[in-house]
Amino acid sequence: MHEVMIVLRREFLERVRSKGFWIGTLLTPLFLGALFILPAVLGAGGGREHTLVLVDEAPAGVGDAFVRTLTAPSDDEDADSYRVERAAGPLAQVRADLNRRVLAEEIEAYVVLPADVVQSSEIAYRARNISSFTVQRGISRAASQAVQQERLREAGLQVQEVASLLRPVQLQAARITEQGEDAASAESTFWLAYISGFMIYMLVFLYGINVMRSVLEEKTNRIAEVIVSSVPAGRLMVGKILGVGSVALLQVAVWVGLGALGAWKSNAIAERVGLSPEALRTVSVEPWVLAATIGFFILGFFLYATLFAAVGAAVNSDQEAQQYQTIVFLPLIASLLFMLPVINDPLGSTATTLGLIPFTAPISMSMRLAAAALPPAQVATSLALLALTVGVMAWLSGKIYRVGILSTGKKPTLRELGRWLRAA
Amino acid sequence: MEQALLLEHVSKRFSGHTAVDDLSLSVPAGTIYGILGPNGAGKSTTLRMVMNILIRDAGRISLLGADPERDREVLRRVGFLPEERGLYRKMNVTDVIVFFAELKGMDRRQARRDAGEWLEKMGLGEWKSAKVETLSKGMQQKVQFIATVLHRPELLILDEPQSGLDPVNQEVLRDTMLEHRRQGKTVLFSTHNMEQAEQLCEAVCIIAQGRKVLDGTLKEVRRANPGSGYVVEFAHPSAEVDRFAADGRRFGTFTPTGEGWRVELAPGADTRALLAALNQLDAPLVRFEREQPSLHEIFVRHVGDAAHPHRVAEAPHA
Repeated sequence: MHEVMIVLRREFLERVRSKGFWIGTLLTPLFLGALFILPAVLGAGGGREHTLVLVDEAPAGVGDAFVRTLTAPSDDEDADSYRVERAAGPLAQVRADLNRRVLAEEIEAYVVLPADVVQSSEIAYRARNISSFTVQRGISRAASQAVQQERLREAGLQVQEVASLLRPVQLQAARITEQGEDAASAESTFWLAYISGFMIYMLVFLYGINVMRSVLEEKTNRIAEVIVSSVPAGRLMVGKILGVGSVALLQVAVWVGLGALGAWKSNAIAERVGLSPEALRTVSVEPWVLAATIGFFILGFFLYATLFAAVGAAVNSDQEAQQYQTIVFLPLIASLLFMLPVINDPLGSTATTLGLIPFTAPISMSMRLAAAALPPAQVATSLALLALTVGVMAWLSGKIYRVGILSTGKKPTLRELGRWLRAA
Repeated sequence: MEQALLLEHVSKRFSGHTAVDDLSLSVPAGTIYGILGPNGAGKSTTLRMVMNILIRDAGRISLLGADPERDREVLRRVGFLPEERGLYRKMNVTDVIVFFAELKGMDRRQARRDAGEWLEKMGLGEWKSAKVETLSKGMQQKVQFIATVLHRPELLILDEPQSGLDPVNQEVLRDTMLEHRRQGKTVLFSTHNMEQAEQLCEAVCIIAQGRKVLDGTLKEVRRANPGSGYVVEFAHPSAEVDRFAADGRRFGTFTPTGEGWRVELAPGADTRALLAALNQLDAPLVRFEREQPSLHEIFVRHVGDAAHPHRVAEAPHA
């Protein structure tokens, strides 16, 4: 067992000492974070002030209502604010001058409320840059309100009355669990399931390939022979997989740490992303679900790592590895293809079946665990089947590995692989 | 212990051909022992079976008194340098050496200290923290060698240790092998270079096409394989000797060698009669001895055509 530890230690330290590991570990959440947060931040314009000129040819009251709505103070400190200046005369007179001021960047834009705005429902917006959706949305919303008010007034109706008649319905979603109702929103549940499934896919994939490369390196550099003269091949394989697995767990731990930091600041983040603060706060995960998810991740990694180790041992170069590694990828990719059906109906028959097949279980089950309250017995069955398969696959891969790492020359055919399995 | 390594009727078959065929040999403890043979003779396969990298099909192996297949612990007392060398290219030199020594059961701190000393000794002191891939090929071979010997093995097994080494490093290797023997340890190495084996080994085993051709101490091998000729020298040149040599057909063919003659005896010629005749000549006879064939000559005589077998691709099924 001590030999396994020595191999494990080397595999772990060599990876953790490399700059690449830390760059990857720190950049991935930054990148993911940026992917969510940047558009929200940039699209929101970050609470800028906009200076506009209003050319008001509309019936009396519409222009005032427009300015009132647009310049009304918002509770959201990140929202944009507007300063509106009224043009001195009708569009025909001021147009040339306004165009000049826009080009000279004295004002950002001008808005024209034409005389027939109540009938035509069209206003004009003129600016150097017309790609800011938030500004245009704000202006269009303010103008709509002003025009609607005017129409209601013409029809003899009270604005407040109509607003209360048209108030939309709010849907309150909650999961029913053994412990009662869990008020997580559909949105946050979906993201949690999606992220946990995708993370496991990514980690199993990346670190599985990592194991394969590492085996291939030992084989092509003829290191395997030296090691096998001290350590049985099986222990070398186990040490290697455990070593690489520890690196993956360390990475996950760092990410969970960063995630906890993020959750601590979840209000600020949720606001920026546009989720309601409750959405993130109400994602509560029970400890046994978390433990089971980690269990599926670890066993899933072992399952695929042993297969990748066998591929690395069987082939002689990266090019040759391509062919066999595709076979190993297929069930992984299949689990991803079924991602939406599984998350949308986590208790349905597709999800249940995928959750029981050991090769698709790691990803499917992690998504189902996040999306619904699963019967613990089913989770335990799936884990047990997976663990059993890991055992069988490790045994078979170990045979290929033992023969493979010492044999060179041409790539073995499937029949030869079969002979390796029988020989060892 | 008398024998560091004992092989009895060991065989190994790969798909379609027999790599090692009923091989028996014994390596006395405290000697330098050579396994000689042409490429593809089965030298590497034999050493791999000894190291339990390959599983033998038949026969018995006793390595330092234990069967390596049943008692893997014994492998820790052996240092093995495989024919094709391999190091982790991205690792630092000291770490690589320490890693291999740890796998042999050495304490990490001790290994680190000793690695530093060895690197100094081999002239690699400045490279101890360098990445392996930045070293020249010769330096990498030295690193590999240090990794083989650091745990102070009782038995060193070196597969073609000289291949790819420049003359300076060959000298370093030779010294290390002799140093090991001086410390009472055993060195077993394979080579196809007969001159080298002749300089270093006390005992050899020559194999060809997986079968043993001969083995024993160098002295025994030479005695068992005497030359067919005699070396004859006189105290000073003499016309009578020249005449005798030119006319000596009844004894055999005389070929001048500079200092004297080489006599290839005719079939049925009597050595004692030749000696008596030579003693009658006017110049005093100072040397009359059986020719000592070189290991190379013995090898060629025994192996002959087998020296150039077709190498069959090795596909081990452990």
